[in-house]
Amino acid sequence: MDRVRRFKLLLWSICGLAFAVAFRRFLLGLGSSTNLNDGTPWGLWVGFDVMGGVALAAGGFVITATVYILKKEEFHPIVRPAVLTAFLGYAAVAVGLLADLGLPWHIWHPTIYWQHHSALFEVAWCVMLYLTVLALEFLPVPLESFPRLGKIRNFLVKNRLILVILGIMLSTLHQSSLGTLFLIMPYRLHALWYTPILPLLFFISAISLGLMMVSMESLITSYLYRREPETHLLTKLCKVAAWVLGGYLIVRILDLLVRGEYLAIFENSWQSWWFIIEILISAIIPIVLFTSKLTRGKLGWITLGVVSGVSGFVLNRLNVGGIAMAGTTDSFYFPAWTEFAISAGVVSGAALVFLFAIEHFNVWEHPPRDEEDEKPYTLPRFAPVGTIWLGDPHTAGMKRNSMAFVVAAAFGFSLLPFSSLESKGLIKTPANSARGKDIMQIDANRDGFFVTFDHKKHENSLGQTQSCAVCHHAKLPADEQTSCAACHQDVYLVTCIFDHEKHKTWLGGNQSCTQCHPAGQNRSVDTAVECNHCHNAEDASLVLAVQESPIRMDQLNMAGSYVDAMHGLCVTCHKEIAERIYRPLHGTCTTCHPFVAEESKYEWDKLTQTTASPRWVISTPLLQENIDVEKLKESVAAQ
Amino acid sequence: MKSILTDITKCIGCNECVLACKRTYDLPPELPRRWHKPDGLSARNWTSIVRLPENKFVRKQCRHCQEPACVSACPVGALIKNAEGPVTYDGGKCMGCRYCMMACPYEIPRYDWDSAAPYIRKCILCYERIKEGKQPACTEACPTGATIFGEREELLAEAKRRRQENPKLQLYGDENEIGGTCVLYVSDVDLKAIYNGRDLRGDPALPSTTAPVLASVPLTFVGVGVLMSGLYWTINRREQLKKEGESGEKANG
Amino acid sequence: MLEFWLELAKGPIFRFSFALCVLGLARIVMLSAWGAAKAYYAAGDKELPYSLIWRTTIHWLFPIRMGLRNRPFFSIVSILFHIGLIIVPIFLFAHIQLWYQGAGLWWPAIPRHLAEFLTVTTILSAILLFLARVWSSASRHISRGQEFMWPLLLIIPFLSGFFCSHPAWSPLSYNAMLLIHILSGNFILLLIPLTKISHCILTPFSQFISELGWHFPKNSAKDVEITLGKQGQPI
Repeated sequence: MDRVRRFKLLLWSICGLAFAVAFRRFLLGLGSSTNLNDGTPWGLWVGFDVMGGVALAAGGFVITATVYILKKEEFHPIVRPAVLTAFLGYAAVAVGLLADLGLPWHIWHPTIYWQHHSALFEVAWCVMLYLTVLALEFLPVPLESFPRLGKIRNFLVKNRLILVILGIMLSTLHQSSLGTLFLIMPYRLHALWYTPILPLLFFISAISLGLMMVSMESLITSYLYRREPETHLLTKLCKVAAWVLGGYLIVRILDLLVRGEYLAIFENSWQSWWFIIEILISAIIPIVLFTSKLTRGKLGWITLGVVSGVSGFVLNRLNVGGIAMAGTTDSFYFPAWTEFAISAGVVSGAALVFLFAIEHFNVWEHPPRDEEDEKPYTLPRFAPVGTIWLGDPHTAGMKRNSMAFVVAAAFGFSLLPFSSLESKGLIKTPANSARGKDIMQIDANRDGFFVTFDHKKHENSLGQTQSCAVCHHAKLPADEQTSCAACHQDVYLVTCIFDHEKHKTWLGGNQSCTQCHPAGQNRSVDTAVECNHCHNAEDASLVLAVQESPIRMDQLNMAGSYVDAMHGLCVTCHKEIAERIYRPLHGTCTTCHPFVAEESKYEWDKLTQTTASPRWVISTPLLQENIDVEKLKESVAAQ
Repeated sequence: MKSILTDITKCIGCNECVLACKRTYDLPPELPRRWHKPDGLSARNWTSIVRLPENKFVRKQCRHCQEPACVSACPVGALIKNAEGPVTYDGGKCMGCRYCMMACPYEIPRYDWDSAAPYIRKCILCYERIKEGKQPACTEACPTGATIFGEREELLAEAKRRRQENPKLQLYGDENEIGGTCVLYVSDVDLKAIYNGRDLRGDPALPSTTAPVLASVPLTFVGVGVLMSGLYWTINRREQLKKEGESGEKANG
Repeated sequence: MLEFWLELAKGPIFRFSFALCVLGLARIVMLSAWGAAKAYYAAGDKELPYSLIWRTTIHWLFPIRMGLRNRPFFSIVSILFHIGLIIVPIFLFAHIQLWYQGAGLWWPAIPRHLAEFLTVTTILSAILLFLARVWSSASRHISRGQEFMWPLLLIIPFLSGFFCSHPAWSPLSYNAMLLIHILSGNFILLLIPLTKISHCILTPFSQFISELGWHFPKNSAKDVEITLGKQGQPI
C-alpha cells in the first residue's frame, strides 16, 4: 500500500491547489483565472477536460459491448473497472464543465430550452443520459455492500443488457457529435483536421482510445497496489486496439487524399508539425508496438504503446479544440497555470474516488487490503507538532491527506494575486510626454497615431507668456513646467500620485505621522489633512497648482487618465470657442484627430517645416446637432 | 427584413456611431484589457471603427446573418434570429458555453471576461428601437450617411446601384456570402482585413455543415440499437444452439 | 528592499498563513467530528444522559462565574487577555482598511483609543500569565514547552503593532517595525491550527468529550482496558 499512500498524498495536494484556483475562478470570473480571450474563447478546459475526458471514458461502452454483446467472457474481470472509469470520466467532464461555463448554475438549461440544430445540445443530452446509464450500470457494485437494497440491485442486474445497449447507442452519438461541434468552424480549424467526416474519426478513435485507456488504468492500478498485471488480457486488448487504430489511420489518410489537403503535412508549419507528432504517437507507435513480434505481449512495451496512444489522442482532441486554430485567429493563447491546476485537480478528484471505490467495493474480485486500517486499537498517537490528539489511528490516512490538501490550497492562495487590476484584465499603458517644441506630437501610448498640436500658435492666440496657466495647471515643487504625463501617468487608468513614503521622509520619518493624521483618530486617507494644509500660498516652494487652475487643492492625490485629461482640457475650450466664433468644426473630433496620422507619421518633417495647419479629411462643413444656432448668432452679435 | 448598409467610401471614422451605441445601451467606458482583440470590439463596444491603411475606416459590427452560425450553434436557444432581421440574445437562457463565439465566422460575439456572471455581448441591431419604428442609434448618428438603415431588398438594390456607378466597389453581404447577411457593405477595400483574412463570399451558409450530420442522429441512434440487439440475439442464439448440441450429444452418448 | 519584503509579507505570505489557518481549523473540526462519530458508533454503551451533558458543556464554555470564585485574579487577567487578543486584530481600523483595499470587505472598527488600551492590557496580561505559569509549581509541572512560548510569542505582534501606531516611540524605523508586526502575525496564524491555539475552535469538542467522560457508567474503565487489550498494564 505504500505506493498508493504516496500517490493519494499527491492527488490530495493537487486537489488542494485546484480548490484555491476554483475559489478564485468562481469569485472573480473566468478572466481572472484563465488566459482565455475574445479570440480564443475555448481553451484547455474544453480541449482537455471535456473533449479529452469524454474520449478517455470511452472504455466503458467498448468493454461492456465486448463482454455483454459479443460475449467475450474472458474480459469479464475488467468490466467493473472499465465502467467505473467511464462513470468517473463523465462525472469529471461535468465538474470540469462547471468551471468552464460562464454561468455554471445554468448547466441544466439544455433540459428545458431545446435547440435541436445545435451539436452541443445533442452532446449535452447524450452526456447527461449516459452519465445516468453509467451510474445505473455501476450501482450494483456498491449495492453489494448493502444487502437491504438487494431488490434494486437485482432489478438493475436483470436489466443490464438494456443499459448496455442504451450506453452504446448514446456513446456512438456523442463521441461522434463532439466532432460535429467543429464542423461549423471551417474557417477556424486547419485543413489537416477539418473534414466532413470528423464525427466518424472521433468515433473510431474513441473506440481505440477506450481500449487503450482501460489497459492504462489496469496497468496503473497494478503498479500502485503491487498486483500481477493481467498481461494476457492487455495483449488481447492491444491487439484489437491496433486493428482499430489501423482502420483509423487508413480513414484519416484516405480523407486527406480525397480532399487533396495531404500536401499541408509537408508545409513545415506549426500545424503540420503538430499533425505529424499527433499521428506518430496516437497511431503509428502504438500499432508498431502492439503488433511487432519483438514487442507484443511484453509489459514494458505495452505500457509504452498505451501511454503513447492515450497521450496521442488527448493531443488530437487538443489540436482540434484549439492548437490547430492558432493560426486562423488574431489572438494568442497558452493556458495559464491556473487552468492546468483545475484540469489536474478534476482528474485527481476522479482518481481519488476511483481508488476509494476499489478499496471499499468489489470492483476487483478481492478489494486490496490496507494494513493500516486493520491495526487493532493502539494507544492514541499525538501530532508531532504541538502534541495534540486528533483522533484515533484509524484516521491516520485522513489526517495525512487532509493536511496535504490544506497546505497545497494555502500555497495556491499565496500564488494567486487577488488584486483587482489583474483580475479585471486591465493593462497598464504608461503615458509618454508629447514630443516636439513649437509643434508637438501628442502620442501618449506611442502607437504611431498622434495629434499634432501647434504649441506656438496656441501660446500666441491665448496671450503669450501669460497664457501658460490656461492649460498647465500643476507643477512639481521647484519646477517651471511639468509634463502632463508626469501626473496623468496612464493613458487610460487613474493614477494615485500621492507618495506616502516620500512625504514621510520629507516630514521627518517616525516623528511625522501626527503632522497629517490628527492624533487620537484612526489613520486613513479620509481622516488625513487635505493637501492644501501644506501646499498653499504661504510657502511658494510648495505650491503645486498654478492660480486659477481648475483643480482643487484637496484633490491633488488622484490624477485622471491621460486621455480624459487631454480631452477634458482641449475639448471644453474648443467647444466654447466654436460656439463663440460660430465655427462648429472647431469643436469636433476631427479638429484634433484629422486622421492623417498614417501620412503624418512619415511626413512629420515636412509638417514641421511648413507649420501647416492639420489637413481635414472632410471638406463639407457639418452642423453639429447639439449646437443651438440661435444662441450662436446671439453670441456672434454680442461680439 | 430590416438591414444596415455601410459604405466604406463615405465613412470618415468619426466614431459617432460607436458613441451613439454606447449611449443607447449605457455601456461603460472601455479600458485596454488582456482579452481584447485589436479590432476594438468588446463586451462594452458593440460596434467599432477599424482603421485600415490609406485612411479607410470600416465599421465592424454583428452582420446579422440570414442563416446565423451562432443561432444554430447555441445549445439552449439563447440567440435567436428575429423576423425583423436582428439576431438577439437572451442572457436568462445562456449557460456561458461560448460555442457561439467559436462558431461565428466573423468572430463578432464578445464576452464579459471580468465578470463573475458573464454574458455574451454583441450588436443586436437595436431590436427594441426597430420594433418601435425607429432606426438604430448608429445609423441615426452617422453624419455622412455612410451607414444607413432600411429594408434589406431596397438597400441591396441601392448597393448594387452604387456598385454599377463605381466599378471599383465590392458588395459584401448578399446571398453569395454564407447565405446573406443583414448588414451589408459597399467597399473599395478588401474586407478580409477585418476578418482575419477570411473572405466568405461564395461560401455556403454554415448551419448546412452540421445539419446533415445532426439529421442523421435519430437514424444512427436507432440503427446502433437495432444492430447491437441483433448482434446480441445472434450470438446468444449461436451459444444456445451450441449448448443444446453439446447436451444433445451427451444425451445421445 | 524593505518595501519588497513588506509587499511579500502583506501579500503572498499573509494569504498563505490566513488560508492555512482557516482551512486548517476547518480540517481539525471535520476530523474531530468524524472521530467522534466513529467513536459513537463503535461504543458499546450508548445510554448516557445526553441532555445533561449538553447543558454542562455549554455551561462550561463560559467559565467566568466559576473561575471568578476560585481564582479571581488569574481569571480576570485571562479574560482581559482573551478580549484583547480577539477584538484588536479583528476590529482594528488599519486591518479593516487592508481588507477593504485588498478584497473590498468592510466592517465597523473600534475607536483608536480603545484599540490602544486593549493592546496595552493584552501585553500586560500576557506577561502576567507567563509569570503565573512560571511561578506556580502546579502549572509549571503540567506545562509543555509551547505553553511557555505562547504568551511571549503573542506579545510580539501586539508590541510591534503598538509601536507602528506610535512610531515616535519606536526604536526601529516604521517599516522595519511593520515588517516584524506582519511577519509575527502571519507566523501566529500559521501556528493556530497546528498547536494548542486550535482550542479557539476545538473547545466545544474537548469540553463535550470531557463531560462525556464524567458520565461514563461504572466500570467502563475496565471495558476500555479490554478494548485496548491492555488489561493489568500501567496507564
